[in-house]
Amino acid sequence: MVAVALKSPASLTFQPRSSHGWVWLILIALLTLVVSVGTTLLLPGEVPWPILLLNIGLGLVIGLPGLALAVCFPTMRYELDDQALTLRYGPVLHYHIPLARIRSIRRRNLSISLWSSLRLPGLALFTVPYSDVGKVKMCATAAADRILLIETDDATYGLTPADEEGFVAALMARMEE
Amino acid sequence: MPGIYVMAVITLLVSAALWGGLLYVLPGRTKRYLWLLLPGLPLSALVNLGVKRPLAVMAGQMAGVAPKLGLETPWWFILFLFLLAPVFEEAVKVVPLLLPQVRRLLVSSAAALWVGMALGISFGLGEAAYLAYGIAQSPQYAALPWYIFTGYFGERLVVCFVHGVMTAVVVTGLQHGKGRGMIGYLAAVGLHTLVNLGAVFFQLGLIPAWGAQLALLLPILLLAAIFERLRRDIARGSDGPDSADEIVYFRRGQEEQLSGY
Repeated sequence: MVAVALKSPASLTFQPRSSHGWVWLILIALLTLVVSVGTTLLLPGEVPWPILLLNIGLGLVIGLPGLALAVCFPTMRYELDDQALTLRYGPVLHYHIPLARIRSIRRRNLSISLWSSLRLPGLALFTVPYSDVGKVKMCATAAADRILLIETDDATYGLTPADEEGFVAALMARMEE
Repeated sequence: MPGIYVMAVITLLVSAALWGGLLYVLPGRTKRYLWLLLPGLPLSALVNLGVKRPLAVMAGQMAGVAPKLGLETPWWFILFLFLLAPVFEEAVKVVPLLLPQVRRLLVSSAAALWVGMALGISFGLGEAAYLAYGIAQSPQYAALPWYIFTGYFGERLVVCFVHGVMTAVVVTGLQHGKGRGMIGYLAAVGLHTLVNLGAVFFQLGLIPAWGAQLALLLPILLLAAIFERLRRDIARGSDGPDSADEIVYFRRGQEEQLSGY
């Protein structure tokens, strides 16, 4: 059983499916940092300054936040109360979905596109464009496979609860109340 | 062994893995198009040695101009050399379509997109190998260590995708008939010309090498947008390979529980 009552009997917290998305985050972050710092240290004075600035900028913009996101990986969760569903990923992501605004709930495989805010094997966060369903606000431990899509009047959210049936049953029960 | 060969092997392995992975995952986890990474491999060397170079030399001899780019070169000859690659490379990349085994794959617009991508990427891989050979023949570069050629790695990795999209534009056009195919070909020639602009300015000595690489960014973004546009247009015309797996739990208006419960 994955759902755990935390705050009150009316509040349920669901964990996402397990994945190795955090490993990809760390690998990419470290690779970016090593390449950017390595270029600076190995080839002093030989790299044109625009490329040097680009390298260091990429190192800072991708590497450090990547490591921070990897640290937050265990904090991903889905909180369900009487009024809303909240998707959380550490302090950086917090999607609040009022139950009354939910139009549909469906699960499907998505078709990934080249554009992405943050989408890796085993992890998708923030607004991610997909070729088939358009932009989806993701808080999921999968990039495209078996994504539970929750459509509201304003947006579409993507999540991957470990106990999908239990999650959907609880969500629909709250919506009917 | 010249260092460029080490970097070329790394580049080819990473490019084949990355773009082969794309050809496997995006069409719906299928190996159907992966073998198409082979037929385009020799085409870059063939078109360069058998068509572009002889034409450049012949035109140069006829006009009394050395067949190379430089600020002293007449503008019309620069334009001629500039257009050689787009015109002939975009044509030769679709030559494998003459094979019945390749044509049989063209059963839909989606298939045309992936066949074009695979043939273009294949050409790009062959071009990376051909360029490495050319660099290794230059005394200026032959003795350099392999890790100096990171620019080659990054550029060739991306250019494989660029070739893929340009060929996809041609093949998806051909899927709709010869007229659309010609429009697709001209569009690909135009895109190829845009992609080569930075390299030509570099060879003319107008911008540094890093400037030529930065100048690739805009066309790459444009081509990525075209690729996604092609995919979106095709997805609109079909249910997509994955929609069959969809489970609808709830839809407002129907209120009752749907499949899955």
